[in-house]
Amino acid sequence: MITLAAPGPRLRAALPMLVLAGLMAALGLAVPGFASPATLLLVLADTATLFVLAAGLSFVIVIGSIDLGVTATASLAGVVTALLLPGWGGWAFPVALAAGLLAGTVTGLVHVGLRVPSFIASLAAGGVVGGLTLWLSDAQAVTIGQTDRPWLDWVAGETAGLPHIIVVAAGALLLGWGLQRLTPLGRFGLAIGASEPATVASGVRVARYKVLAFALSGLFAALAGIMLAARLTSGSPTGASELLLPSIAAVIVGGTAITGGTGGVARTAVGALTVSVARLGMTFLGVDAFAQQILFGVVLIAAVAITTDRASVVVTK
Amino acid sequence: MLTAENLRKSYAGVEALRGVSFEVRPGEVVGLVGENGAGKSTLMRLLAGTQRPSGGRILRDGQPVSLASPRDANAMGIAMVFQEQSLILNLSVAENLFLGQDGEFVRHGLIDRRALRRAALHQLAKVGLDIDPDRRAGELSFAQRQMVELAKALALEDRVDRDLVILLDEPTSVLEQAEIDLLFSRVRDLQSRASFVFVSHRLDEVLAISDRVYVMRDGAVVAEAPASAVTPADLHQMMVGRGVRTEYYLESRQEPPRSDVALAVRGLGQQGAFRDVSFDLHRGEVLGLAGVIGSGREALIRVLFGFERPDAGGMEVEGQAYAPRSPADAVARGLGFVPSERRTEGLVMTLSLGANITLARIREAMTPWGLSRSKEQALARDWISRLGIRTPSADTPCRNLSGGNQQKVVLAKWRTAGSRVLILDHPTRGVDVGAKEEVFRLIRDLCDEGVAILLVADTLEETIGLSHRVLVMRDGAISAELPAPAGGKPEQVRIVEHMV
Repeated sequence: MITLAAPGPRLRAALPMLVLAGLMAALGLAVPGFASPATLLLVLADTATLFVLAAGLSFVIVIGSIDLGVTATASLAGVVTALLLPGWGGWAFPVALAAGLLAGTVTGLVHVGLRVPSFIASLAAGGVVGGLTLWLSDAQAVTIGQTDRPWLDWVAGETAGLPHIIVVAAGALLLGWGLQRLTPLGRFGLAIGASEPATVASGVRVARYKVLAFALSGLFAALAGIMLAARLTSGSPTGASELLLPSIAAVIVGGTAITGGTGGVARTAVGALTVSVARLGMTFLGVDAFAQQILFGVVLIAAVAITTDRASVVVTK
Repeated sequence: MLTAENLRKSYAGVEALRGVSFEVRPGEVVGLVGENGAGKSTLMRLLAGTQRPSGGRILRDGQPVSLASPRDANAMGIAMVFQEQSLILNLSVAENLFLGQDGEFVRHGLIDRRALRRAALHQLAKVGLDIDPDRRAGELSFAQRQMVELAKALALEDRVDRDLVILLDEPTSVLEQAEIDLLFSRVRDLQSRASFVFVSHRLDEVLAISDRVYVMRDGAVVAEAPASAVTPADLHQMMVGRGVRTEYYLESRQEPPRSDVALAVRGLGQQGAFRDVSFDLHRGEVLGLAGVIGSGREALIRVLFGFERPDAGGMEVEGQAYAPRSPADAVARGLGFVPSERRTEGLVMTLSLGANITLARIREAMTPWGLSRSKEQALARDWISRLGIRTPSADTPCRNLSGGNQQKVVLAKWRTAGSRVLILDHPTRGVDVGAKEEVFRLIRDLCDEGVAILLVADTLEETIGLSHRVLVMRDGAISAELPAPAGGKPEQVRIVEHMV
């Protein structure tokens, strides 16, 4: 049996930061010009969408569940935005966000109410949402016309060289961090992930908070979908599907255990940066796209192995 | 011959076994008795290979052996019949019997069902069990399953070239008298082929079946005697290790309860678990619930705290109708629950002491600007000093605390939540002897403050010592109510006669 040396709790907490710093340093040395402010801004802008998607997902992973429907929700939000902008203008955004919120809430209700494992509930919900999106979009990317593009400025524009998308992601980070740090939701989420029976026995309305976690995941996914559509100036019905593995990787690489009970949005920011810096680095170094996928899978498994306190996991299903 | 020398085992700093020496001779039935928490089950787990000792050694026929898994123990001819049965209910009896040995029945990569069935019939015959081996284990009665487990243990003799030792952990606790008689006669028949270790709470049974008896107390063997030389009363005296020590339970601090009723239960029932249960629990009162496993008291407290719903009757809290749909409803009405499974239900072990203390009422840690770590820590530090919790800091994860200190955190949680009715389910389980007395003190403190307490205790002695009144449950109904005022505590036998 192979046993990975399990790092102590303190090292485990610091590891994601160290990995990110190491990657940045290595790239800075290997690629001239990487360390320039312009490149770093590019990296941040490139990471923004992935981060927002992963940030929502971290609410769900913290409680020990998983939401595999986030990318479908993001695609739905992108398509809804692209479809509604011509007629509704700026109202397209709240409608797209509400659609994401609804998709997440329904997933949560199915998971909690019908006691369907979140893995299946979210996979199925993702299928439904994906089908709905294809129907809405006629299975084609919906281009956002020239006249509607000013509406996208809050995401796609830039002010004094600072891409707005970075500000949007920072806002999402602040919102997510505040929810986790300053509200009962954050505390109960950790408690549910670490020990649901103890949380139930303490009188916490666990079902409610679980649904809330899924609702937030849907909301953040919708925001990510809007960001993606704004950057591409089109809403693609499958546009976000490539992001599922990277977004889970971002959460886990950031140091949130897949079993729940630790971590959060701030860690996911580190994880998302790590994922996108790693991807950028591989592209710089000429690693081809398929090999990148393989490497991602391997890195994800390693990250899960390191972040999980396997001594406390008796049975893995 | 199976010998244990100076075995030690500690869990998170709590010593469950402190140097136990123990011997099973060929063809012998050895009884093992002791109160809950005395270390019997721990000793069994070490001998069965499900846990490893922290010190000492185990010898088989004089040779030291390392039992790292049940498989290792099996290879040494040691098998355990588990208290919580280990049969897989959706597999057939035959499949269960040879689980892990399936390889012997594989022909050309497929399982030879006929051979498996034949072998199973052979094993079942040994214990005199006449059932179809193709039946699913889940279709059998509890007693039949136990016989299958015994057959499974005995099947070892065909594979291991030494005399067997079979560990029976509380085999009779859920059996009817006729089933117990059957089990005992089987054990007698099999004595020539195996030795047995028999763990039970029922002292008369232990003496009836055993050749020799060990008595354990607080993680050590305190006596060993031939079964013919002792009486149940002797054993009890040795298990408890003291005469009537009223001050152990701080009886002098037991004040009469107040007159107002905190929790009223009327005709409460749940299909198949308990029926027609009625009582009043007053403020400042400890009401002890006595009863054997299966008497319905566990199910009753789960209904009282809203984990499950009753089918009949009703409840009132402080004079208002009370029908909890979840523990959250119970907590909202001022109830608190100290569960017996502290590590899974009592505390979130990876969260800090402070986070656990505020878990049942998080608004105590809220400010207008959100959850405040500093407010929470201040609150936690207050409880640390008031309850004498020994911890490096208010930020320490609860899993790093000892059992007694963890239990104090659970109590601090409910006091923070302002609970006025507390259900204590085995509050001293897994708690050191010294820390037990502190838990008793905290229970008296709660009474002084007018909290009403429903107590399900580890031992009858504890129930009597702490309670103002004892309700005895038998077969799902209340069979007796005995007052237990300070200075007028009932005898244990008076309660036992209503339990069985």
